[in-house]
Amino acid sequence: MTRRLALTLAIAAALALGSSAQTGARRVISIIPATTEMLFAMGAGDRVVAVGSYDHYPPQVDRLPRVGALLDPNVERIIALRPDLVVLYGTQADLRTQLDRARVPYYSYTHKGLPDVTETIRSLGRRVGVPARADALAAEIETRLRDIRARVAGRARPRTLLVFGREPGSLRNIDASGGDGFLHDMLETAGGADVLGDIHRQSVDAATELVLARAPDVIIELRYGGSENLAESDLRAWDALPSVPAVRNHRVYLLRGDEFVVPGPRVAEATERLAHTLHPDAFGP
Amino acid sequence: MVVSGFGAATILAVTLAPLVGSTHVSLSRALGRGIPFADNVDAQIFFIARLPRVLAAALVGAGLSLSGVVFQALLRNPLASPDTLGVAAGATLGAMLAITLHLDVHVFGISVLPLSSFAGALGSLAIVYVLAIARRRGTSTTVLLLAGVAIAALLSAVSRFVQYLADFTDTFRTIQWVMGSLDVASYAPILGALVPMGLGFAGCAALPRALDLLSMGAEAAEARGVDVVRAERVALLSASLTTGAAVALGGPVLLVGIIVPHLVRLLVGADHRLVLPASALFGASFLIGCDLLARTLLAPVELPVGIITSIIGAPVFLWLLFRRLT
Amino acid sequence: MSGRDPLLAARDVGYAYGRRGPLVVDGVSLEVGRGSIVGLLGPNGSGKTTLLRLLAGTLSPTAGAVFVNDVPVASLSRRDLARRIAVVPQETHATFDFTVLEIVLMGRYPHLGAFELEGPSDIAIAREALAATGTAGLEDRQFNRLSGGEKQRVVIASALAQGADALLLDEPTASLDLAYQLEVVALLQRLNRERGTTMVVSSHDLNLVSALCTDLVMVRSGCVIAHGATRDALTAPNIRALYSVDVQIARHPAADRVLVVPIARVD
Repeated sequence: MTRRLALTLAIAAALALGSSAQTGARRVISIIPATTEMLFAMGAGDRVVAVGSYDHYPPQVDRLPRVGALLDPNVERIIALRPDLVVLYGTQADLRTQLDRARVPYYSYTHKGLPDVTETIRSLGRRVGVPARADALAAEIETRLRDIRARVAGRARPRTLLVFGREPGSLRNIDASGGDGFLHDMLETAGGADVLGDIHRQSVDAATELVLARAPDVIIELRYGGSENLAESDLRAWDALPSVPAVRNHRVYLLRGDEFVVPGPRVAEATERLAHTLHPDAFGP
Repeated sequence: MVVSGFGAATILAVTLAPLVGSTHVSLSRALGRGIPFADNVDAQIFFIARLPRVLAAALVGAGLSLSGVVFQALLRNPLASPDTLGVAAGATLGAMLAITLHLDVHVFGISVLPLSSFAGALGSLAIVYVLAIARRRGTSTTVLLLAGVAIAALLSAVSRFVQYLADFTDTFRTIQWVMGSLDVASYAPILGALVPMGLGFAGCAALPRALDLLSMGAEAAEARGVDVVRAERVALLSASLTTGAAVALGGPVLLVGIIVPHLVRLLVGADHRLVLPASALFGASFLIGCDLLARTLLAPVELPVGIITSIIGAPVFLWLLFRRLT
Repeated sequence: MSGRDPLLAARDVGYAYGRRGPLVVDGVSLEVGRGSIVGLLGPNGSGKTTLLRLLAGTLSPTAGAVFVNDVPVASLSRRDLARRIAVVPQETHATFDFTVLEIVLMGRYPHLGAFELEGPSDIAIAREALAATGTAGLEDRQFNRLSGGEKQRVVIASALAQGADALLLDEPTASLDLAYQLEVVALLQRLNRERGTTMVVSSHDLNLVSALCTDLVMVRSGCVIAHGATRDALTAPNIRALYSVDVQIARHPAADRVLVVPIARVD
């Protein structure tokens, strides 16, 4: 038994060593905002040679060349920059094929729930060659999340509608978080109960009838991207539904920031902000 | 008479549809005075979520069907629709520009999006019309058709270009808009749409006989005493007003403008004095029905109404085609 | 033509498409006597179709004027004009599935007010027109499903229902086979005989014209090169001048008219 165990360990070690011989990248291209942030947060920002069209954080990325994103990756530019690692979306099959042909290694990223954020940080960190700092970053995030959970534990969870898009000035085409995805996970961690949690989709086109029927206690609207200058006054659109408890009790909030839509290292901050909104008294001075 | 039958069906649809939905609503509680409106969930679902939606569906369905009838007669082509002359493409481009340029201004309490969409619809018609009358007195149907196809193609290309440059969220919002949504949740957009719709309806009401004769050929109509130039102008303008208002209210809902007139003609014959009112009424009921399906089939998730009209419309269209061929 | 007051007359009529376009019709004067059947002949591009449209009033001349009953066409409203002149196009295709009766009732348009519905008298007139063209039994049939000859007769009925004094026909037998051609010719002759309907028929078919028309107007390059009673105008020299074709004029073996037999092109 011990011999078999020893053999298994030896093989595992060999594989780990072998794969770490593949790891370490000096010229990384990341076309995903989340992974770009992760790379910078784990101290590998100096290895990043190009980013995607929608990457805006940290501010240094604005000086880097852009090579497209999910729908329009510029393969020629990518290859011309001679990367030794390209971080791309799992769904970008064409790009993968072309990188295979050019013998450029890649890291395939899938956008999932909150726990996957730290898992990705760790695995990406290993792949790039900064495992220690990646682990530290992941651990820090996990600690902060645990802390938030502890603070809101035992408190009643307000039934919350988390809205991340709608037509300005009206309540048409409301996009809200359903029971899947990292927004949902952040909400639950922050001590809220997703009022659309039974609908297993990341995004739900919430019709007026649905909002009225579910009667959330709190409505949180997320705003991100520099271009949408929506003022607090736009929240008055919700006054059209006076029977909703959130409207009646003036618990409709607007939270601004990219950290809400990028499942990267700032998820802890985002979750903290959600928690502050939902349970302000848990974070009192 | 058959038309009154359609009328009765529409009234039935308008009264019954708000009673059905993904949530159970108690009518007595909704209509009762026991609970103040601000707290009455049933009443709010009925009067804010469902009733405006049903009314919007009726207007959009009627508007698109009417304009379908008019375009088919005007262009002497049973396959014509509000899309053929690029009117719907113009409306889409207008909406897309409003979304992408973040024109969040409100004019008299109405958001810019429907106004921009409406302007796009009329703008595209104006271009097509000017092209068609540029050379000769009156409008040549062929030139009208060709100009319409060309403008529709051009506007689609511009739309795609704008979409490509837009950021991802805007593109997504545009896609949502294009698939159609009748969840207006307020009476303001409906009242706003009533003005151009009303004008368009009035224009159409003056046209039925002229449409009959125009559909036999412009010269033949002229020889029978129809003021062809004036009739064509009134027809184009009326159809564009109703299309523009409908698309501004609910997005470019697919296939309604082609299917409804054909089905109606199967039932009432070709006389436009019957086809016009019957199409408006049947179009209203049809879209109310489709919207009902859209919001109940996969409850609590809703489907865009354009998907339902396509799923129903496409096979019906194929069936109509086969009937014609055999 | 005869000294009688003509039903239709064109005085020095000219037409050009566009402001600086070529003159398609140039200084044409002609008269259509009441009760006559005038044949309009000419090669393709001669302007005869345009001339027919000018006579019908669907085109306005750029020079000269057209008169109906000595009243200038330009001064009449479209409805008034339609009550006096009816047009039978070469081909009619209905975009929608109208019935025969519906098609014929369209002829009553110039007699009805803006929102007026057809009354019993209109329907009676329509039915009478159908009877006159021998198509009474087709009343409820769909127009598009009729044979070519039946369609043409129904369109003629629709023109009759307009109650017009003059019927203008643009190549009425061009798309018909021989049997239907004879049918339509016989019908037109009967209408002319029984109702005194004045007709202007544009055609390429010289033998049709010989059978049907009382008078001829020959148009080439927008000008009238010959006109007169058929027996006087339908001559080999005239036809040669009109079509650049040598023909032989022969006596018809069975009827009291001539046969035109083409021989060869003349270049």
